[in-house]
Amino acid sequence: MLQLSAAVAGLVTGGAYALMGLSTLLTYRLVAVVNFAQAAVGAFGAFAMVGLHEAGLPLFPAVACGLVTSAALHVGLGVVMVRWFAEASEGVKAAVTIATFTGLVAVGLRLFGAQHPRRFPSPFDSPAFTAGGVVVTWTAVVTMVLAVLFAVLPTVLLKRTRIGLLLRAQSERPTTAELIGIRVPRLSMVVWGTAGAASALAIMIVAPRLAGDFGSQALLITPALAAALVGGFRSFAWTFVGGVALGVLQGLASTVVVLQQYRGVLPFLVILVVLLWTRRRDRWDSAA
Amino acid sequence: MTSKHLKAGAVFAAAALTASALAGCGVGSGGDTIKIGAVAGLTGQFITAEVPKTAQRVFDDANEAGGINGKKIEYIVKDDAGNAQRTAQVARELADAGVVAMAGSASFTDCDVNDGFYRQSKISSVMAVAATPKCFQSPNIAPVNVGPFTLMTAVLLHATQKLNDKRVCNFTVVLPGSEDAVKEALARWEQLSGQKLVVDDQTVQQSGDLTPYLLKAKQERCDAILFNPAEQLVVPWLQAAKTQGMDDVDFLLLAPAYTDSVAKAVGGLGLNVYAGSEFEPFTSDSLANKGWRSAVSRGDAQPTAFSQGGYLSAKFLVEVLKTIKGEITRESVGAALRDMTPIEDPMLGTPWEFGPGETHAPNQASKIVRLTGLRWVVVDDTFITVPND
Repeated sequence: MLQLSAAVAGLVTGGAYALMGLSTLLTYRLVAVVNFAQAAVGAFGAFAMVGLHEAGLPLFPAVACGLVTSAALHVGLGVVMVRWFAEASEGVKAAVTIATFTGLVAVGLRLFGAQHPRRFPSPFDSPAFTAGGVVVTWTAVVTMVLAVLFAVLPTVLLKRTRIGLLLRAQSERPTTAELIGIRVPRLSMVVWGTAGAASALAIMIVAPRLAGDFGSQALLITPALAAALVGGFRSFAWTFVGGVALGVLQGLASTVVVLQQYRGVLPFLVILVVLLWTRRRDRWDSAA
Repeated sequence: MTSKHLKAGAVFAAAALTASALAGCGVGSGGDTIKIGAVAGLTGQFITAEVPKTAQRVFDDANEAGGINGKKIEYIVKDDAGNAQRTAQVARELADAGVVAMAGSASFTDCDVNDGFYRQSKISSVMAVAATPKCFQSPNIAPVNVGPFTLMTAVLLHATQKLNDKRVCNFTVVLPGSEDAVKEALARWEQLSGQKLVVDDQTVQQSGDLTPYLLKAKQERCDAILFNPAEQLVVPWLQAAKTQGMDDVDFLLLAPAYTDSVAKAVGGLGLNVYAGSEFEPFTSDSLANKGWRSAVSRGDAQPTAFSQGGYLSAKFLVEVLKTIKGEITRESVGAALRDMTPIEDPMLGTPWEFGPGETHAPNQASKIVRLTGLRWVVVDDTFITVPND
C-alpha cells in the first residue's frame, strides 16, 4: 500500500523530470547541442519571475517576464553557439554548456540568494483527487498534461510540418541547409528561445515541490539528461516515459529500507544502465 | 585603444601593488593591536556575513570604550566561500597575520578542516555558529550556539513533555560525519523521555520530492515529526504535508528553519510548526535581546539567529580578554579561556564557559518558537535545558 502511494507521489516528480528532459531533448534535436545549462537557464527565468512577483507584479505578467528572461538567456547562448561553435563537435558544444552551467549557477546564487527560500506561487495547489492514499494536486495534473504536450507537439512538428523539415535539416547538416537557402541562424534562434522559455515554465511549475534554492533547481539537469538518454536522445515519447519512470522509481526507492539512502543517485544509475544497454553490441576493441 | 587600456591597466596594477604593500607593512608593524580572526561565508552557497559584521560592532564598541588594557582590537574576517580548501587556507593566513584567538566564526567546514591546525598552533576559537560534531569535540573550540544535535534532543523533549506527543517520528538528513552525533542525540532523548521513535529514518535525501516520507509518517500515524534540514527544504516539506492533509501533526524543526523567510513562505498554511532556537529567540522583543539588537542595527547587519552567535562570541571573548594580566598572546588567551568563570547571559539558558575540558558544548538550552500566522512566536518563555545524563 505504501509502495503504491509512494509510486503515485513519484508520478508527479516524474512529470517534472519528463518536462525538463523533453526541453533538453528539444534543444538537442533541433540545434544539436547537449545542453547541460538547460535547467539553469530555466531556473534563472523562474527566479526572475519570483523576484518580480514578490516586488508586486501580478502573477501573469511576472510569469511572462520570467519566460522572456529565460528565452533571451537561451538565445544568448544560442548566438555564442552559432557564431563560434557551429562547426565544432558535439563534445565541444557540450563542454561550452557545462561552462555556462557553472557560470549561471555562480551568478544565480549571487543574484537570488543561496539559502533563503523564495515564495514560488503555486496557483494549482488545491487537491484534485485522492489516489492510493495520496492526495494529488492540480499542479501534478498540469505537470503531466504539459509533459504530454511537450512530448507530442515536437514530434508532430518535426514529422508533419515544413518548418519541422527545415529544423531537422538545419540540426543534422547546418552547412548544407544554409547552402540550399534555409536561414539557419534566424530559425535556430527561434528554437533556442522556445526551448529556454519551455524549461523556465517547467521549473516554475516544479519549483514549489523541490528544494527551493537556485543550485538545486539548476541540478534538475541530471534527471533530465537521464530521461533524454532513455529516449536515446531521439524519441520524445520515450523521454517522457523515462522521466516519469525515474520519478516513480525514486518514490518507490524511498519505501524500501535498503534502497532509500541511494535515492539521490538513481538518475546516475539509470544513465549508466541505459548506456551499457545501448552500447551492448559495440565491440570495445574496434571502437578504440 | 588597446594600448590605452594596457596603460590604464598598468597604472591600476601599480596602484593596487602599492596599496597592498602599504597594507602589508601595516600588518607587519602593527604589534600594538590585539588581532582576532574569523572564518565565515561572505560569498558562496551559504552566506553568514551578518555574523562577523555583528561581532565587528562588539569589538568596535570595546575599542571605543578604551580597548583592552589600552590596546585596540583588530578584527580580521576571512571569506572561505563554503569551500574546504579555502577554509584551510584562510585559517593559515589568519595565523600568519598573528591572530591570538578566533571569535565569530561561522563556516560549516571550519571545525572539520581546521581543528588539527588550531590545536597545533594553539589558537582557541569562540565559535559563533557551529554545525558539525567536530565543533563540539575539540579542546580548542567552544561554540556559543546549542548546535543541531543538542537541539534535536531539546525539540523532541518539547514534543513529549509539553505537547504530549506519543508517536514521535524522525526524518533526518544526515550529513557525512554526523551519523554518530545524530544517533547520540536521539538516544539521549529516548533515555530522558522513556519513549522510542516510531519511525527513525536517517536516510532522507535532499533531492527530489519529499512526499513519500510524509506518506510513511501518515501510515505510521506519527503525531510529531522531526525534520532537520534548512529553509530551502523545509518549505516544500511543509507544503507537501499540507497537501497530504496533515493538519493535526506537530512538525518539529531545528534552528536553521527558524527564519523570517520560512515564516513568510509557509506561515499561511496553518500547520502546527515548532522550531528550536539557538539563543533567546531572535524574533522576540525581550530585554535579553536588547544589547544584541543595538549591536546588530548599529553594525548594519541582518538581525538573524546567526548574528546573535556573532554578538555573543565577540562579547564573551572581550570579557575574557579583560581578565588577562600582562601580554596578550595565544597562550595567555588560551589559559584565560580555560580558567574563566562561567558567564551568565540572559540570551542563553545555561552559563557559557570555555573551560579546561577536552570537548566543549556549554550551551545546552533552547527556547521553542511556534509558527503563528506569518510570524514565529515564543511558546513558553523558559529555556528547555537538556539535562546531562
